[in-house]
Amino acid sequence: MGNFSLCLDVFFSIKFHLNLNYMKRILLLVVFAFGFAVLWAQERNISGKVTSADDGSSIPGVNVLVKGTSNGTVTDAEGTYRLSIPSSGTLVFSFVGFQTLEVPIGNQSIIDAQLQTDVTQLSEVVITGYGAQEKRQITGSISQVKGSVIENLPLQSFDRALQGRASGVLVQSNNGIPGGGVNVRIRGVGSISAGNNPLYIVDGVQINNRNDANFTQANPLAFLNPNDIASMEVLKDAASASIYGAQAANGVVIITTKKGKAGKPQLDLNYYEGVSEPLKYLDVLNAQEWFSLRREARINSGNTALAATQNTLNEMGRLPANFATLTEGQLLDVANALPTFDWQREAFQTGRVRNAELSFSGGDDKNKYYISGSFNEQQAIITPVDFVRGTLKLDLTNTISSKLKVVTSINLSSFTQNLPFGVSGAFLGSPAFSSSAVLPHNPVFNEDGTFNTSIAGVLNQNVVAVSAQNSGRQVTNQAVGNMTFNYQIIKDLSFKSLFGLDYRLVQGEQYRDPRTPDGQGVQGRNSQQSIWNSNFITTQTLNYNKSFNKTHSINALAGIEYRSETVQSIDAASTGFPSFLFRDIGSGAVDENVTGFWSGFKRFSVFGQVNYDFKKKYLATVTLRQDASSRFGSNNRSALFKSLSVGWALKEENFLKDVEFVSDLKIRASIGQTGNDDIGDFGWRALTTAGAGSSYNGASGLRLSSLANPNLTWETNETVNFGIDYGFFNNRVSGSIEAFRRTTKGLLLFQPTPWLSGFDGYFANVGELQNQGIEFEINTVNFDRDGFTWKTNFNFTYVTNEVTQLYGGLRELPGNPSVRVGHSLGTHFVQQFAGVNPASGRPMWYDQAGNVVYSPIAADRTPLGNTLPEFFGGFTNTFQYKGFGLDLFFNYEYGRVVPDGQVGFLRENGTRLTLNALQATHDARWTTPGQVTWIPRPVVGGAEVRGVGVNTGNVNLWKADYIRLKQITLSYTFPRELIQRFRLTRARVYAQGINLWTYDDYLGYDPEFVDGANNGAGILPQAKNYTIGLQLGF
Amino acid sequence: MNTMIKINKITKVAFVLPLLFLAFACDNMLDVQPRTQVSSDNVLQTPDDISSAIISVYARLRAESNYGRNLMAVSDALADIGFATNNSGRLINENRNIPLNHFTHWQNSYFAINEINVALKSIEQLTFTPAPTQQTIDRWIGQLKFLRALYYHDLVKAYAYDPGTAAAVGSQDRGGIPLVLNGVKTLAADATAAAFPRATVAEVYTQLYADLNDAIARFNTSGSPSGAPFIAGGPAAQALLSRVALFNRDYATVVTASTAAITTSTVGNLQSGNAYVAAWRAAQHPESIFEVKFQAAIESLGVNVSMQSSFTSGLSLAALTSQGGWGDFAPLPSLIAAYGITPAPAIGTALTIPAGTIATATDVRAQLFAAGPGRGSGRKWECIKFIAKNGVPYLDNIPVFREAEMFLNRAEAYATPGSPVFNETLALADLNTIRTARGLATVTLTGTALYNEILNQRRLEFAFEGHRWFDLKRLGLDVIKAGQFTGAVNVPFTDFRRLANIPQREVDGNPNLQQNFGY
Repeated sequence: MGNFSLCLDVFFSIKFHLNLNYMKRILLLVVFAFGFAVLWAQERNISGKVTSADDGSSIPGVNVLVKGTSNGTVTDAEGTYRLSIPSSGTLVFSFVGFQTLEVPIGNQSIIDAQLQTDVTQLSEVVITGYGAQEKRQITGSISQVKGSVIENLPLQSFDRALQGRASGVLVQSNNGIPGGGVNVRIRGVGSISAGNNPLYIVDGVQINNRNDANFTQANPLAFLNPNDIASMEVLKDAASASIYGAQAANGVVIITTKKGKAGKPQLDLNYYEGVSEPLKYLDVLNAQEWFSLRREARINSGNTALAATQNTLNEMGRLPANFATLTEGQLLDVANALPTFDWQREAFQTGRVRNAELSFSGGDDKNKYYISGSFNEQQAIITPVDFVRGTLKLDLTNTISSKLKVVTSINLSSFTQNLPFGVSGAFLGSPAFSSSAVLPHNPVFNEDGTFNTSIAGVLNQNVVAVSAQNSGRQVTNQAVGNMTFNYQIIKDLSFKSLFGLDYRLVQGEQYRDPRTPDGQGVQGRNSQQSIWNSNFITTQTLNYNKSFNKTHSINALAGIEYRSETVQSIDAASTGFPSFLFRDIGSGAVDENVTGFWSGFKRFSVFGQVNYDFKKKYLATVTLRQDASSRFGSNNRSALFKSLSVGWALKEENFLKDVEFVSDLKIRASIGQTGNDDIGDFGWRALTTAGAGSSYNGASGLRLSSLANPNLTWETNETVNFGIDYGFFNNRVSGSIEAFRRTTKGLLLFQPTPWLSGFDGYFANVGELQNQGIEFEINTVNFDRDGFTWKTNFNFTYVTNEVTQLYGGLRELPGNPSVRVGHSLGTHFVQQFAGVNPASGRPMWYDQAGNVVYSPIAADRTPLGNTLPEFFGGFTNTFQYKGFGLDLFFNYEYGRVVPDGQVGFLRENGTRLTLNALQATHDARWTTPGQVTWIPRPVVGGAEVRGVGVNTGNVNLWKADYIRLKQITLSYTFPRELIQRFRLTRARVYAQGINLWTYDDYLGYDPEFVDGANNGAGILPQAKNYTIGLQLGF
Repeated sequence: MNTMIKINKITKVAFVLPLLFLAFACDNMLDVQPRTQVSSDNVLQTPDDISSAIISVYARLRAESNYGRNLMAVSDALADIGFATNNSGRLINENRNIPLNHFTHWQNSYFAINEINVALKSIEQLTFTPAPTQQTIDRWIGQLKFLRALYYHDLVKAYAYDPGTAAAVGSQDRGGIPLVLNGVKTLAADATAAAFPRATVAEVYTQLYADLNDAIARFNTSGSPSGAPFIAGGPAAQALLSRVALFNRDYATVVTASTAAITTSTVGNLQSGNAYVAAWRAAQHPESIFEVKFQAAIESLGVNVSMQSSFTSGLSLAALTSQGGWGDFAPLPSLIAAYGITPAPAIGTALTIPAGTIATATDVRAQLFAAGPGRGSGRKWECIKFIAKNGVPYLDNIPVFREAEMFLNRAEAYATPGSPVFNETLALADLNTIRTARGLATVTLTGTALYNEILNQRRLEFAFEGHRWFDLKRLGLDVIKAGQFTGAVNVPFTDFRRLANIPQREVDGNPNLQQNFGY
């Protein structure tokens, strides 16, 4: 570290020197200015105003220069300038982001200028790691999603907005909890035991995306109002991402938020409001259908018709006290008179969606600002689940001197979520689980309007009452900010110093009301959690940019980075409340549980990158990064990652320059390494725990909990990528095609040890897996005439995953048969269903020899599909005509096979448990000999004698293929002439629908979910939204 | 000029900050120590740590896979005393003896055994000043060896054929269970190397005897530690030895060990009549020689799998009509009738007795059954041996050895034909001790009738305490279930399902370990 101290002195001496120079120059300038004023007093003055051709707003800070001289000025805050000039010449107006304009002076004394936006300059810059590059220079694989594309979507976190909009990026919701978890996988699943989430970076701050909330999901990315996003870049291949080294194996998502633009103050108001509704209701049986089904099951199981009728009525809680004196016919009358209640429609609701935002931006050439505030509310389709967020964003760019610029960005956010009964799981009190499965003859309300609490059947809780009586909420407060100093050391060399902080506090409180069954036994329970994360980062980079003879151009970067993160939590609970009126944790008589948790890591990194291009034709990038991390074992503290990428811009070659129909053509190739250090903070250490689990008889116990592996280290991903960027017919058709192979080596695996050792296993770097695929994007302008435009964007990704090697020659991971050499991760290794025996109605499976059996064994299991989609993507159509706009956006997935926990219960046809059943599986059940069907005859207990359960094997695996109309937006932008009268710069109204239509063949609520714990049983399904909105600019 | 100075300052700060920071950071740049846990290299070097390590071994008895539920409820579900109600869907497959639905205490037990082995080694290597007294060391080792014997016996009786029964199954016998006597503390390589084969049943029993005899000797010298019956001492070791010897058909040892346990009056005394019923209503059972304690609310296994939930749908003894548990496993009509409880309706038929009624009969054990409020499948007779007797729902202590077992073990040892201590008079005396204590008249039986009545009393006495499956198994008897409830078929002694499957991952990852026949 001594070296750095020395550097301090060097910097200082340069600094003083530069300042002296600077001051001298200013003084000279002042003297000259006075001198000119005196000398040229008789020369004529010229003045004018510079405005934007876009919206007519004035532009401050525009350089106005007499061509070929040093005589010039800049426009003031109103966009006006005043200049003394010689008799003739040309005025040059220039400003970043606008095309330079030259105007001959002639005899005019007032010269107004209207500057055109420079589209190429603005649109083709892509944010790369620690910098930005022009799109034409990119040699790696980067997808960009503009903020405008995802504007005003009623989504709480930006990760959802990526769905279907970038090739290679798979986005799946965990459930429909607003602000809930989202699964983002960039180019496949690269790890078994380490994390698979990409690295998210917001304005240079690497975001901690742990989600440790106990009571409901709190997506760590929900802190940011998606409308504050200017662009999202996804670094997909290792060459692009290797600058982030050991954290980049799963790809990197770089979020750039909106910044202020010079110009007169711009006020934007944005409001939308709407509703959310269930995607669908499951079609379940009515009271009579359920009664007959269960009675049939009882008869099939050996009951007489009378006994079956009695027993079924008994199970439904409707057996008359004098049943012994009643005939079967009289009992059937009782069943026929039973009413049916639609519990799903009682438990589900129409939720409200609201969003209001105000942003304020502007500035001059020196100081720019962007301030925005937002309020977002989304009620889920199941009460009381909701999400209410307020955000405040402040962005300042201050040019302190011609050398120094300071950029400050602060995002403050607070969101509150009312809790679902559970995030997922077959909980009796969970409306998401029980409302479709409760026996339908149970009324929700008594005749006097009170809740019916005498619910017959295995689901004996009134979920509507439980939802109303329980309470609890979770509050997330988050601050993400950074301060960046940009210093231009010399002309081509700049220094950037970034300090960032990501702080999050999640506080949850859950109360189980003593009037509800789950609170009754313990007389109420209040559980609480506080968990806070502090994530500090600093990055110091030097950037060198130089072009030699317009032939060789070099852009080099060198930097160091330090990141430190800690997470700490405290949990407590109490039970024994005097009554339901007392709900605070302190009111409980019995302290139930106090636990704490702490974890953290530190990382120090050095990195460098050189981008080189020769005549804009031949492009190359070399990247190196060295990471040292506290997460790595003591024998393996630091990691080096390398990458190389090259590109050839064919269009720049003479043989293509004049070929009209080719507007752009570039081929590129890259190879690189990235690491995955999401291996746990202390995964390599042998640790001992103490706590409630090891306490006994009032004394505390200690327990060995993990084994040491000092060699533990990051996983290495090596990606080879080939890509073609193309544009034809004046870019009417453009896009890219890529092929990649991503190999994960030194796969972090929780390597099982025999339980005889006293341990489950330890983390080791063994095994290898591979993701390979192709992806393409195609953008077309299908029609562009007479003010009518129709544009299409289509993207497609095909990925296959294969485990290529485990350890010790094993073909299957002990204890986890879904991990098998030669197969994809997530492979279902189960017995294959052989249909229903038409003679007996009994379910059959294939054994290993291919024969049908009633009772398959473990050895009969075989790979049958996997949970990863084969291909996926999105399809967007945009129509515009005279202010009217229509956006249609579809996303799709194909090849995913999933078990559905909710359907798993409902397809048992009420045989094992007294649960309701799906109409489809009820109707398909075997009833008569000779019938060929896929649902066996019902028998009580769910399994035939010497048979196995009806859900054995692959019977509850479903194809989750779908195409979904994810978004449809119809908008109208009012013409400028009209709104100027109201002093508006922009006015737009729109109506939007989300998830309005899905094409699938899926029995459950929604084919799109990722819920490893319960396979979707009891998850809150996704919703559809209808919103209307208004955007006004002043 | 002022502006210039300000700019100068700000610029300076811009450079000072990062460099200052880096200078500050270099000291502990990458040093992060865990706080929630401690490094295993530093533990088990003080007497406090040794005591705490032993506590953890006791705590593992509480696991659902062990005495928390499975060794009690799964055991009885596998056997012939009750039926699964389908209320929550739990215990159905076990009750139907569907393959792979069996005991699951392999992992937790071997983890406990490793903790014992590491603790024993640490005691050996302890260099603490002041050194612990020999009494402390004896009590540590005595407890550890008792616990090791208990875990090993619970394993060998579930995963292997009991001594003297293997001949009946011929080549299905795959031997005993792996015997691991050296602990793994920190090293992954040690853990990987623990790929042991199965020892023979005889080797396992030799080790059980060795551990128990050492434990007994040390408790004899240094006295039992305080905390009985929750903490093991001499009587607990004797009781386990009595049980181990009974499984081993070593009847002489059964008699000496049972007698030793019975004659100790400090812990575990037989209760009679109402006192016996009251014993099941108290947190601590006065008959317990060793009892697994559930103390803190957090130790509860909860509303789904606790013993209370498994057996009763009631909330507590005081609130028997309020729904509390699942009542997943209920007594068969034949068992109900055997206590003299009426009515004993057929399965699936509604029980007309009002909810909350506690059964009565001459046999006071009838009072351990009550008509629960019922769950999805309607009202039933339910066992209320575990019904929030600690005063907190779903938190019941589990008696592992009650003194009644010592009498019945000894009676069986005396009454088994061919026993070296065969003595029908003494057997009858022990049998009648139990019968009298339970409100039944004394009997005068001999031969098979006497022997069968001893087994019958075992069935009635330990119903819902997990004995029946193991009693039938160690005696080589079939489990007769057919005709008792829908879908039930018999499980003959030769059926592979009489042994639990060794977890597949253990067999997959350890080529030396042979899976049980049939799996």
